[in-house]
Amino acid sequence: MTTSAAPGRDGLSILGPEAKRELLYNVENPDVPNRVDRFLQAFESILRHTNYGALLDLYARSRAKCGRCATTCQVYQVTKNPMDIPCYRTDLLVKVYQRYFTFGGWLNGLASGEGFLTEEDVDEMMNAFYRCTACRRCTLECPMGIDHALITHLGRYILSEVRLPPRALQVSVRAQLEGETGNTSALPLKALKSNLEFLEEEIEEDKGIQVKLPLDQSDVEYVFFAPVSDFIMEADTVMGNALVMHAMGEADNWTLGSGNYDSINYGLFYSDWILERNIQRLVAEVRRLGGKKILIGECGHASRSAKQFVPVFGGPNPPPVVNCVELAYQKYLEGKLRLKPKAISERVTYHDPCNISRSGWIVDQPRELLKVIAENYVEMTPNGTQNYCCGGGGGTVSIEEMHDFRMEVGGKVKADQLKATGADIVVAPCANCKKQLREVIKHYELPMEVKGLHDLLYQAVELE
Amino acid sequence: MTSSTRLSNWSKARKLEMNMEALLEFAKGPLFVGTFSFMVLGLLRRVISQWVQVRASLKRLTNREIAVGANVKQSLAWLLPVKHLYRNRPFVSLMSFFFHVGLLLVPLFLVSHIDLWRRGLGIAWPGISLYTADVLTIATIVAALVLLGFRLFDRAGRTLSTSLDYFLLAAVLVPFVSGFMALHPAFNPLAYDTTMLIHVLSSELLFVLLPTTKLAHAALFIFDRFSSDVFWKMPAGAGDRVAQELYGEGRKV
Repeated sequence: MTTSAAPGRDGLSILGPEAKRELLYNVENPDVPNRVDRFLQAFESILRHTNYGALLDLYARSRAKCGRCATTCQVYQVTKNPMDIPCYRTDLLVKVYQRYFTFGGWLNGLASGEGFLTEEDVDEMMNAFYRCTACRRCTLECPMGIDHALITHLGRYILSEVRLPPRALQVSVRAQLEGETGNTSALPLKALKSNLEFLEEEIEEDKGIQVKLPLDQSDVEYVFFAPVSDFIMEADTVMGNALVMHAMGEADNWTLGSGNYDSINYGLFYSDWILERNIQRLVAEVRRLGGKKILIGECGHASRSAKQFVPVFGGPNPPPVVNCVELAYQKYLEGKLRLKPKAISERVTYHDPCNISRSGWIVDQPRELLKVIAENYVEMTPNGTQNYCCGGGGGTVSIEEMHDFRMEVGGKVKADQLKATGADIVVAPCANCKKQLREVIKHYELPMEVKGLHDLLYQAVELE
Repeated sequence: MTSSTRLSNWSKARKLEMNMEALLEFAKGPLFVGTFSFMVLGLLRRVISQWVQVRASLKRLTNREIAVGANVKQSLAWLLPVKHLYRNRPFVSLMSFFFHVGLLLVPLFLVSHIDLWRRGLGIAWPGISLYTADVLTIATIVAALVLLGFRLFDRAGRTLSTSLDYFLLAAVLVPFVSGFMALHPAFNPLAYDTTMLIHVLSSELLFVLLPTTKLAHAALFIFDRFSSDVFWKMPAGAGDRVAQELYGEGRKV
């Protein structure tokens, strides 16, 4: 595969309708035997224990195949590859469902002798389901309201039960759920502690005050979960989190937990089983510490999965879930967070992380804060619930071997959008987007840098 | 030509005409009742079975909070998608909208159709003017041709379309074209009865196709908008049960 090719160039195997079906990502054991049988076995088991059968029945009978989703998908718009049309991708799985798990489909199969699942079909699904960034733009634009992202989620779930998910995600989850460190970056507690101390010192040096990054405080309001990668790669964001909590007067009211300090939940991108276990770990840590609420750091998918699935998997009286951006804005409105107006002189734009913006949950809050602290704030278009994905959504940003695909396909639309703003800083309150956008900026040589919202709040917070 | 062959030709033609008349009577009578009931009951069955499935799905959940109001609002908003149309593919989307408007209004509110109901069952409702019906019918036909063009010439449209999709579009188009021709003899090269027979039979084919094909979205759309809300909630413990079933006690990531 060619690297650093000109954007949109032909001849890349990842582009064009003739793109090869060779897998874009590595799997742990590519030689899984009897993939077709195992796929069907896993599918059957999932149908038995979950509600997906009713969903597939509905979609099998009601999708009109109007093709509108194709025009909304930023992946298809670049590749023009059939397997990137959301409705086509949904069809891949619906067809298997109909053929093997409905009476009519079974009859059809008997009569025609066609349409049975093949090894090639499994290959196609493995590719198609991970070329999607799970941004859910197509769902929003489907006149029928067909949730292609949910079908893609199910497809990935089945593949994971055949033990064919991207290796990168599987390895991270294994470290998180079965490893000694209990987090996706395999960051030991000892390293975290020294990291937190270091950041506290940094803040003191910068601001001349003592700000805590508290660990294992009992009976506090907020138990804080950042994506663990923030402690390694986004020091400015974590420092921003701490300083903002301090400035809001919540310094003694929040804590990290030593039992679980990772909000990342790759289950959202590949398996209900993993999804549920991670949610249970979040809730267990809050219970252990006697905390009241789950506070999620700057991370799109972690925020969405916690917000959406803590009520689903969190047992009786699940703790409420709050995102740090949402909290900062609320405290700003209450007058508890005071900000220096126009503290940031550079031209700033805001990228909406799909997982928090598509549903309309967090759209205006960060903008209101940015408009206060930035002298020169510009929007990119489209934005808000209509935004384009950074191009690395759905877990793909963690899959290194998909780098070229992320740059040339999803990243292309984003690069054009970023360029049009002429901004110096693009703010993205999501660890996933930050990594992808940095790579996009480097790849397309855009003169701007990526920051978290709390990186800027760190500079703009008014202290006593 | 002798007078006897002329006579037999005449009687053949007369016979054909009588057969045609009998066929038309049959199509407008028992066949209509049968296919129309099939459609109504078929769609009802689809809706009920879907409802039962959704209910059963909800029962398996711990968290059953469904934003009913918001979903209904969304569904209604997409029925009159003035706010949504322009965002993507505006021309085809607009055509698709016109297509559906004619499809719903003309069969239900054409005065000649209402007359049939009045004569048959003694029920009636206000209709639309013939002029309006003409405009809607032409809009539907033109829109259908645009949609056909999309399926034929757009890369995504072509990829998604199977022979069934083309067939269904044609099946929808025939009653509209034949109905228009029946009301406008000037444009009609066929005999009135032939046109009517085509019109009635093709409409009845549509009645049969409605509950049995993707056309069922006419009724099932009410569930689609709720699907995100209902099915993004999973039954607690299901993931573990699946893993255990497939990999036993030693199940691992």
